[in-house]
Amino acid sequence: MRRGLETGAPAGRLSGFPWWKTARRIALGMAAASVLLAALTAGQAWGLSEDEIEQKSLLIAGQLRCPTCQGVSVKDSNAPLARQIHDKVRRMVAEGQSGEAIRAFFVSRYGEWILRAPKKEGLGLVLWLLPGLALLVSAGLIGYRLLGNHRQRMAAPPEPIPTLTDAQRARIASDVKTFEEQD
Amino acid sequence: MFKIWQFWIVMLAITGMTAMFAYGFFVDPKLVKSPLVGKPVPSFSVQEMNTGEPIGSASLKGTPYMLNFWGSWCFACQGEAHLLEAAHRKWGQDPKRFRVVGIAFNDTLESARAFARRFGKTYYLALDDAQGTVILNFGLYGAPETFFVDHTGRVRYKKVGALTQEEIEEQVTLLLREAEKKP
Repeated sequence: MRRGLETGAPAGRLSGFPWWKTARRIALGMAAASVLLAALTAGQAWGLSEDEIEQKSLLIAGQLRCPTCQGVSVKDSNAPLARQIHDKVRRMVAEGQSGEAIRAFFVSRYGEWILRAPKKEGLGLVLWLLPGLALLVSAGLIGYRLLGNHRQRMAAPPEPIPTLTDAQRARIASDVKTFEEQD
Repeated sequence: MFKIWQFWIVMLAITGMTAMFAYGFFVDPKLVKSPLVGKPVPSFSVQEMNTGEPIGSASLKGTPYMLNFWGSWCFACQGEAHLLEAAHRKWGQDPKRFRVVGIAFNDTLESARAFARRFGKTYYLALDDAQGTVILNFGLYGAPETFFVDHTGRVRYKKVGALTQEEIEEQVTLLLREAEKKP
């Protein structure tokens, strides 16, 4: 098959019109646009302002437990290790890493323990549900008990007023008489 | 009066709480399970504090080693210093067979060097940077902490707190035995 000089394009009716060159230009243009778009998107992710970086790193540091303290978050601790973790979080945020990725990094190093709130899956889900469940069961038990007592009271016949015996009546009459005589 | 099922619910709750308290009392807080045990050692790269010789997870692959994190400010590190030096003299003379690596952190070069001189440390010693790059990558809580890494570059054991002679013997023997078995 005869091919066009220099170009290697199939010869024939279109050999005078370099359509493949146009196609190549379009492809190059699209590739350049993709690269530009990717760069712009990345720029948006990393182009956080100082305030945004600080806010986001404070939020994440508040979710991490200080390894050397008792029940204090990294955000609220001044311990050297907590400060180093906070700085690392800030650097990771500035690099454009997501909160999920940053938490995952610390979990991979310290274990789930480093998270102040357990994950809402697996055993962590049990921890989330247990207090509510305990509250519901307790409320149910108390309600059941109160309702039972109330029903019992409503259903029971009124207690009869005790009547006096003849001996008691005689005794009262005698006492009253004694008092009247004393007056 | 309590019904039988109400009695058992209360009993179950009390037993559960008692079991949790008992578990908490009998667990040694120093036996912190690290998520790194059984996994490839986190990547690190440091320089010897006196000679500047670089060392890292990549260059140590193929050699079992003991990675000890310490600080001149750490009281417990004084207690285990002679044990680490003894381990180095016993097994670490051939650096391809076994190595003892010590990384000081939250420390100054002068203090770390003075500590090393005082306790006659002759094994590989480095200093982590002020950002705590290496210690955060290893999920450290404090000092001393020691990781035993096998010849495949996998963390086999982690100790929080000062090591004992028996622990070192046991872990190093295990690592050397496995390294000698390698094809």
